[in-house]
Amino acid sequence: MSETAEYYRDRVVTALVMFSIIWAVLGMLAGVYVAAELVWPQLDFGQPWLSYGRLRTLHTNGIVFGFGVSALMATAFYSVQRTSHVPLFAPRLAWVVCYAWQLVVLVGGISLLMGVNASKEYAELEWPFDIAITLAWVGFAVVFFGTIATRRIKPIYVSNWFYGGLIIVIAMLHIVNSLAIPVTLTKSYSLFPGAQDAIVQWWYGHNAVGFLLTGGFLGMMYYFLPKQAERPIWSYRLSIVAFWAFTYSYIWAGPHHLHYNAIPEWVQSLGMVMSLILLAPSWATMINGIMTVSTASEKLKTDPALKFIVLALAFYGLATFEGPMMAIRSVNVISHFTEWTIGHVHSGALGWNALITFGTFYFMVPRLAGRPLHSVKLANIHFWLALAGVMLYILAMWGAGVSQGLLWLSLDELGELRFSFTDIMASTAPYYLLRLVGGTIFLAGAVLMAFNLYMTMAGQATVRVSPPSVAAGEAAA
Amino acid sequence: MNGVGLHKKLEENTGLLIFGILLVSAIGGLVQILPSLFQDSLMTPGENTRVYAPLELVGRDLYIREACSTCHSQQIRSILAEVERYGPYSRSSEFVYDRPFLWGSKRTGPDLHRIGGKYTDVWHEIHLTDPRAVVPDSIMPAYPWLAEREAGADGDIVAKLTALRTLGHPYTDEDIAGADAALEGMTELDAIIAYLQMLGTAFGREEAP
Amino acid sequence: MELWPRFADGQHLFARMKSTELSPALIIRLLFQPRAVFDELSTTRPSAYSVFFRLALWIGVVPPIFAFVGASLFGWRLGAVEPIFFPTGVLVAISVAYFLTLLFGFVSSAIVSQWMASTYGARHSLGIHFAMVTVVGAPLAVGSIIHLFPHVFINILVLVPTLIWSMYLLYRGLPVVLQTTPERGMLMASSLIGYLLVAAVSLLGITVVLWGQGIGPRVGI
Repeated sequence: MSETAEYYRDRVVTALVMFSIIWAVLGMLAGVYVAAELVWPQLDFGQPWLSYGRLRTLHTNGIVFGFGVSALMATAFYSVQRTSHVPLFAPRLAWVVCYAWQLVVLVGGISLLMGVNASKEYAELEWPFDIAITLAWVGFAVVFFGTIATRRIKPIYVSNWFYGGLIIVIAMLHIVNSLAIPVTLTKSYSLFPGAQDAIVQWWYGHNAVGFLLTGGFLGMMYYFLPKQAERPIWSYRLSIVAFWAFTYSYIWAGPHHLHYNAIPEWVQSLGMVMSLILLAPSWATMINGIMTVSTASEKLKTDPALKFIVLALAFYGLATFEGPMMAIRSVNVISHFTEWTIGHVHSGALGWNALITFGTFYFMVPRLAGRPLHSVKLANIHFWLALAGVMLYILAMWGAGVSQGLLWLSLDELGELRFSFTDIMASTAPYYLLRLVGGTIFLAGAVLMAFNLYMTMAGQATVRVSPPSVAAGEAAA
Repeated sequence: MNGVGLHKKLEENTGLLIFGILLVSAIGGLVQILPSLFQDSLMTPGENTRVYAPLELVGRDLYIREACSTCHSQQIRSILAEVERYGPYSRSSEFVYDRPFLWGSKRTGPDLHRIGGKYTDVWHEIHLTDPRAVVPDSIMPAYPWLAEREAGADGDIVAKLTALRTLGHPYTDEDIAGADAALEGMTELDAIIAYLQMLGTAFGREEAP
Repeated sequence: MELWPRFADGQHLFARMKSTELSPALIIRLLFQPRAVFDELSTTRPSAYSVFFRLALWIGVVPPIFAFVGASLFGWRLGAVEPIFFPTGVLVAISVAYFLTLLFGFVSSAIVSQWMASTYGARHSLGIHFAMVTVVGAPLAVGSIIHLFPHVFINILVLVPTLIWSMYLLYRGLPVVLQTTPERGMLMASSLIGYLLVAAVSLLGITVVLWGQGIGPRVGI
């Protein structure tokens, strides 16, 4: 590569995409395995590291931090260069961030299997990893904001605000929630006790979902959707308003995870009201996305990537409606602690996060490889597997969750409990089987994608074109 | 300067945008989370709430190691059916020595907050080693390795108690000095059972919900 | 946007009561030759009135009847626990509510579909949207025969694949029937699925809130 010409730094993006796909397959495999363990508990073969509790923690961490964050870093690095018309700031640091992050996920994952667990949901990694995450995150911030600061066009494009919100808010949440006194290298005690710990944890837990799985992926949408539709954002002003409303109101909603729990009533009520308000900015963004594609007329290509992104928006609409609904106390009283919650999480994680990421990868990888997608047909099969898998999963969990919620609370004519816990648990077994089938179908689709994208990448050695030079860069939107 | 003009500034200045996001997202935390960190009622132990004895503390950390809280909540909500099923609803004063909290978010298995004293030690021993021996339909994993390991094997109990004392848990010098001896001859299984048997006992079953 | 549906020439919803080529036989053929049925539909101009009263209403009445018969014969089975039997009056009420819910789902989807049509450059007459929703939903009505044995899990096992088949028909049929490009048809189908998912989850939410209010099974809240 010539030293004088400016190139977009896309190799680090390619690496992150590959890691993200690897984590997607591994993380979903772990998910399918724990789903199977709920049907056949003997599947752990008496091995501590295969035990449900440890493997399930690995599943959530592998998906959120391995698959999700790697995908966010890849797309952030890809889009920030193109929306700023400059190559990546501090590209070496970007490589350090990439490998440091993969190392954290890998070693952290192994530590989870060894039983090193801080027990806070989505923050289970122990304190040495927390420090490593913080350092890698600072590196991510430097590369990202550095690129923006050196940009050649005046306005900062809207996708970058969402990525920026992701970086800043997650840093704040992570640092506060991880505050702890270390005892040994693998053990620490939280700085907050009991009920306070619960409030802080769900302030973190809910907003990690908010700013990482929602906000971060909205950043992805705001760049890749207009790109694929070859249309500007339907309403730029709406995106501004929705962004600030989203950033302001999301942070309040955490206590809806603690309805009827031992925390002050006013905290619960405030959490519920703000959760309902949150629907407005969430849906404003969805409408903005849908209208952006729908005004694209003849330019619209039959692009498998776009299919995924549009379906992802439909599931985004479901998840962001279902969430506030489940935050209402009178719904939550039935739905809390049941499989409904698991179904809700997966309508977001599979339906929204995974689908939009798949769509983005189908768009990005051919461009990174400089050759067309290996097989459009396989991508279309993947689309149907993904849709069938997520629908089976969600419906199984709706059925299981609503039954559990009803049966747990059912009273007979004398006001006595109607069913024993074990009976109800046994009645859930068929739903677990159905969920396993749904999850397996979804995983099969992801494996197809991995193969398809690998074949696309593998061809790049022979048809390699140089990365697009900055001068030929695209307009922001 | 109107709103659009103000936003144009934000939109064109990296530092301002970072600051704006930080400010807007911090408000919720400051108004909602910060006050609860200074609320006395969340930090005052109940009449019978006590710190965990060394063996119980080891048991609790094992409960964390095996991620029991992924399937078992420790939070009885203040609703009728739940009080009937599990016992008096959970009070914040019972959790002041819990670091981290283990309320959980999912009940694949039943709530455990008032499990203490409901079953015998022997029942727990069998159940943890082979759940289906006592509950045929159970889908709980078996934990055969607990019986094979010593509770004090890590040798960090003194460090743990000292760390907790730094955080304000009232352990005496004698407690800390005798901690190693308290774990002598105990297995991990003994530790986790000791923990389960004291769970929720701070609030008497005979007291009204 | 106009909430009350009108035809392109300004005529009101029920003003056109002409006959249509859309027949029950079409529904049967749909199960075997969906593509041919879609092609045929694309050339017809069914009126909303006739689709509704001659076809949708009768298809919509099928699942509640199956549910009623099944529940009175076998009781509701929510898994391993013993079946729950309801007095006939309650069963009638539940079946009627079920029927009304189906009708609401049918009419609202058709109206939402018509509302979206202009955005996606699709045919605009309400009749054709009624017809499309009817044929796409028909497999579900056939699948609802499983209500005769109202075991929740077995019902989900049968109806979920049926539902996925219906979604497939929607993606395939929509661009043909509504005469729009496959790409825009895909977009519109996804938007419709978004609406249906939200409607379904709202129904769940409303149901559990009603339980909490003391309507339906007794819960201890």
